[in-house]
Amino acid sequence: MSTSRPRFAFGFDRFSGLYLWALFIIVFGAWRPSLFLSLDTVHSIASEQAVVALLGLAVVVPLAAGAFDLSIGATTNLCAVIVAQLQSAHHWSPGPAIAVALGTGALVGVANGVTIVRLHVNAFIATLGMATIVGAVQTIVSANSQPLPPASTTWSGLTQHEIFGFQAVFYYLIVVAILTWWFLECTPAGRYIYATGGNTVAARLSGVRVGAWTWLSLIFSGTVSGLAGVLFSSLNGPSLTFGAALLLPAYAAAFLGSTQLRPGRFNVWGTVIAVYVLATGVRGVQLVTSVQWLNDMFNGVALIAAVSFAVWRQRRTSAARGRAEPERTDAPPPSEEEAGGEARPAGDEPSGVAADGVST
Amino acid sequence: MSAEDAPALAVRGLGKRFGAAHALRDVGLVVGRGEIHALLGENGSGKSTLIKILSGFHRPDAGTVEIGGEPLPFGHSAAAYRLGARFVHQDLGLIDGISVLDNLAIGAGFATRLGTIRSRRCAESARADLARVGLTLDPRTGVGGLSPALRTGVAIARAFRADAGSPVRLLVLDEPTATLPVTESRRLMEIVRSAAATGAGVLYVTHRLDEVFALADTVTVLRDGRRVATEPTAALDRPRLIDLLVGDEFAVAHAVADRLPAAGTRPALSLRGVSAESLAGVSAEFAAGQITGIAGLTGSGRETLLGAVFGAIPRDGEVLTAAGTRIPPARPDLAMRYGLAFLPADRTANSAIPGLPARENIAVTHLRPLRRLWTVRRRAERREALTWFERLGVRPAEAVDRPLESFSGGNQQKILFGKWLRRRPDVLLLDEPTQGVDVGAKAVLHRRLVEAAAAGAAVVISSSDVDELAAICRRVLVCRQGRLAADLHGDDVTVRAISRECLQNEEAA
Repeated sequence: MSTSRPRFAFGFDRFSGLYLWALFIIVFGAWRPSLFLSLDTVHSIASEQAVVALLGLAVVVPLAAGAFDLSIGATTNLCAVIVAQLQSAHHWSPGPAIAVALGTGALVGVANGVTIVRLHVNAFIATLGMATIVGAVQTIVSANSQPLPPASTTWSGLTQHEIFGFQAVFYYLIVVAILTWWFLECTPAGRYIYATGGNTVAARLSGVRVGAWTWLSLIFSGTVSGLAGVLFSSLNGPSLTFGAALLLPAYAAAFLGSTQLRPGRFNVWGTVIAVYVLATGVRGVQLVTSVQWLNDMFNGVALIAAVSFAVWRQRRTSAARGRAEPERTDAPPPSEEEAGGEARPAGDEPSGVAADGVST
Repeated sequence: MSAEDAPALAVRGLGKRFGAAHALRDVGLVVGRGEIHALLGENGSGKSTLIKILSGFHRPDAGTVEIGGEPLPFGHSAAAYRLGARFVHQDLGLIDGISVLDNLAIGAGFATRLGTIRSRRCAESARADLARVGLTLDPRTGVGGLSPALRTGVAIARAFRADAGSPVRLLVLDEPTATLPVTESRRLMEIVRSAAATGAGVLYVTHRLDEVFALADTVTVLRDGRRVATEPTAALDRPRLIDLLVGDEFAVAHAVADRLPAAGTRPALSLRGVSAESLAGVSAEFAAGQITGIAGLTGSGRETLLGAVFGAIPRDGEVLTAAGTRIPPARPDLAMRYGLAFLPADRTANSAIPGLPARENIAVTHLRPLRRLWTVRRRAERREALTWFERLGVRPAEAVDRPLESFSGGNQQKILFGKWLRRRPDVLLLDEPTQGVDVGAKAVLHRRLVEAAAAGAAVVISSSDVDELAAICRRVLVCRQGRLAADLHGDDVTVRAISRECLQNEEAA
């Protein structure tokens, strides 16, 4: 049988992120002990990255269902503008304003579902188009001028209130992460969503309503993006442009996360860990040098490296499976049904023989 | 012998073994120039192995092959091409999104001037290529919009492209009509005749006896890796050819299935005028407690029937349960609610979720008993998976948390059986249930099917493996040209009778 590798050996594979994290802390801790090894650093990284981590969670769910949602950045930005605009220009209280912002996020998810599930548009294209539309709506809502930050202390306290040194926004992240984890790993809905992403045809033929679950996953990502926008607005004040810059880090985290803890599977805690490992690395390097481009460089390289690693791992697994095939005892005689319709082009290299189910 | 009058293909004493089994034993075959030579044989007779040796995919253990009088070096696909052999496989290898012209030119190259494609020159040569096989098509047509026969024609035209370095001497067509409707295959036969008229030999692999009589000059029949006969088509008739194909071995005893009690009278599933893709109106009833087989060649509708019933593909017509409930089309989730279960053919594409643990693959069909409030009880899920691992003898035992893709083919199929058996369906539909599964696993799976039937389920098996149907079914329905052509019961269910019905000609019958 193919894989009899011990599951826990050192876990350089599944826990590589945690090892990397430890490495960052040791290296930068030794290099800049007074600046890096302080509770302030911990607290500030925790709250600065909470919004990115939330967006990472937002994309994990549709990714698990096999759909890309590229509209999350624009949705986040729109919701941040709406929640600020309603309070400062229309004098709403925070509660209803937040509700409207979250509703807007959910609505974007519903609209994405219409194009992807009902009209069968490729999710990539559908959500890319939606991102542009959402950007246009933002310009309408804001009249292209940055809304004033709402003055109420309740509003800023929503995220900035400190509990045990951490700002409240970090706790929101933890709550959303736990709920998302529970949703994906413990509920029937999570099972159906992973089944949909794992093999849509097989899932449908197993009675899974693949369209409905894809749709739900998009509503989830829209709503969580809305929440991320609200929290960003409360934490940093409204901005017209921050959203697009969060898209890549969110996907970097989700893909990097899919190589962690449960390799090959988009998962909540892997994503959260990925966000904070990257942020720790970036912070460390910033303390050592003062160059401006590091953040982007780091995230871009991390995304490509993570996905390359995941693909490489996948190929290695299937190669191992190919080697295991000849053990099957049905090899003689080579059944023609297995050789299929002779679909193999004449140019196939002879090395394919071993994978043909024929013992050599 | 000069190259001028050497035959297109001469195979002598060809032998090939896989392990202990002989795939080919001392096979000889000569295809003359301009001759259309049909190669026939049941699944596993060695046809594929022979073609793969010709195309350079396998190396034989014994024997020689000459193409146009020149010996073929084995194991190199380029060598076969250089000697003038061309292959058209069932999967044509055309690119749908682009034009006929581009499909013809890719591989051979475009005529260019200064790096720009000379469209008129290319179109002219494409038209010439098409004309050579008797096709008058606008080369700028998209391949995606062509009928199946024309697509095959384009693939043949591509195979026949003029190549100064190696003139075409031999054309090998590997079941080109397997998925074509009958009207379309007539069109294709014209194309094949045009190809042979250019002087090349044609080796034509098929399951359809009609085509053999309509098209071939000579027939060679393989059985169990040996050549049984080579005769001019004119000297043969259909019954004689069927005898050659099937041999006179007797059917495997119905050992397992005979333990089942006689079928009840209550139909668990009724079909009324079910049509879909290659199916043209099938009506049938399936009794509870019985294993019914569906036989038929590829393209007969056999491979479409069960998917259409379950809702995997759209269909017309009515499907009724025992209680008389209509099962809506194209809704697998509702079909399951009404007691149906369906294991599709092509495990990788249609039924396995390879990256998920075996446990979750088993659980996904029926989560209700495993959940408490909103949560799936993981321990119950594991226990359920372990039960089915034990019942089906999955190896490695207890590895329920490993991804499905890490199991061998036979074990994957066992796991997928478990996912449906645990629903205790009233109607269990299985498409090619033991394809690519080893002998041991096959026995286990068959035993579970008999048990399911004994427990009252209506089990329906669609299979291209006639031996399998004869072994475990007491009743076999045979599909031909989209309809049910025969309904065999009890002692009539033999390998020979099933094969005979599959190959029977509608008009002649």
